[in-house]
Amino acid sequence: MTHIGEDISVIASFDRIYKIRPLKFKWSGRLFHIREVTYTWLIKVGQKNIYHFSVTDGASLYEISFDTTSLIWKLENIDT
Amino acid sequence: MSKTINKSKIIICVDMDAYFASIEQQTNPKLRGKPIAVVGTGHRTVITTRSYEARKYGVKTGMNIYEAKRLCPDIIFVIGNNEKYTYTCIELQKIYLQFTPDVEIYSIDEAFLDITTTHHLFGGPEAIGRSIKEKVQNQFGITCSIGIAPNILLAKLASELAKPNGLKWIKPEEIDSLLEDLPVEELWGIGKSLSKKLEILGIKTCGELKRTPVSILRSKFGIIGEHLKSIGAGLYDRPLIIQEKDPKSIGHSMTFPKDLSSREEIEAELLKLSDMVGRRARKHCFVGKKVSLTIRYPDFETFSRQKTLPDYTNHTHEIYKNTIAILNDTKLKKSVRLLGVCLSSLIKDNNQIPLFEDKKKEKMLLQTIDQINDKYGEFKIIWASYLKHLEPPRVISPAWRPSGIRNITIKNTQKK
Repeated sequence: MTHIGEDISVIASFDRIYKIRPLKFKWSGRLFHIREVTYTWLIKVGQKNIYHFSVTDGASLYEISFDTTSLIWKLENIDT
Repeated sequence: MSKTINKSKIIICVDMDAYFASIEQQTNPKLRGKPIAVVGTGHRTVITTRSYEARKYGVKTGMNIYEAKRLCPDIIFVIGNNEKYTYTCIELQKIYLQFTPDVEIYSIDEAFLDITTTHHLFGGPEAIGRSIKEKVQNQFGITCSIGIAPNILLAKLASELAKPNGLKWIKPEEIDSLLEDLPVEELWGIGKSLSKKLEILGIKTCGELKRTPVSILRSKFGIIGEHLKSIGAGLYDRPLIIQEKDPKSIGHSMTFPKDLSSREEIEAELLKLSDMVGRRARKHCFVGKKVSLTIRYPDFETFSRQKTLPDYTNHTHEIYKNTIAILNDTKLKKSVRLLGVCLSSLIKDNNQIPLFEDKKKEKMLLQTIDQINDKYGEFKIIWASYLKHLEPPRVISPAWRPSGIRNITIKNTQKK
């Protein structure tokens, strides 16, 4: 895993079944289509809730996070 | 210990299959179907869980990475992600609570559910078991084994027999025939050492254990003799522990990546451990009157010393000061591999306002630090003395629970 820790733009759906489901994200000017959300977990940092998603575009594995307080998405790690 | 099995009782044991390894295989599609082992960071790390593919090569929990690599050259080591495992356990508990309020989270990957009074609402015990399996699979993509029986001993045995990814129901009328030829070490609570001692007495199966006169078992094993005879017959009446009892002690210990030899390093670690103990005691409103220090040398020689305090406390510096006093009375023979600090003789904190100004200020300072850490996360405000030694806890203790005083924030082991 390579740590990135950069803010990213994300298109996500918020619904009852998947709750939050990232669909696409843009990083370094490139658009990544998420083929599978492989795992989701929540980390509580004080009063903040940060959802983490392991996602794959079919080639690499990415860990992205969503801070429900600041509404900021981040690309946390990449595993190529 | 009851002499008969309560046939109306229905207990489910949910046991996750290769929990940490399955989560990692689900997270990373490239790991699926491959032999993997979940490990910690650092050169002292051991295997915490291994996938079923790795088990085929004889890789076991507790092995170091070199032994595992020798047995399975293609094994892939994955550094564990504790935050993922503890979150999943909390979510699993929510699934179990859909079927009964009587849930005991026995460990991070095992739970017991008493469905005696609720199973009829969900189509019976087997339907509940299948529904739990389906929900776990759909929500997390991992599998679990389900054991159903009239008590937790037999439910645990059933889940073991169902592994991996199965469901087994031991009905009351099947117990005697199932246990008759079952090796004693298959029973929960009978380990290798105890089964060897039983073998010396000519006892290899549960049937033989059940028929052994209690006087023989008592003379050989003392107080547990009667318990052994009972479990040989499948009798076990421990109720589920649903509500956590008040703790007898609050403690933290840490094994260091490198042995500590300087006094400064040891003191900094003791301050950190004292702070963790004090913080947890304050969070759950307990004060204690005894402080103990545990030290382990690199050769695993371990000892503890304790000190009784003049008054009850949960103040970080009171705990630290007394830990240092114990250390001062201890002549360290070698460098230190592990340190532990524990506060015991606990009572509930009645939150009495201190009479003296300096104590009042100290209490307010701790309250302010706790409030900041509650809001912004653990270790956001820390004592300067251990700033450069800061490293959060790295392993999930077997005592970890999804809620209550044993719910400890466990940071990730992955280095970022």
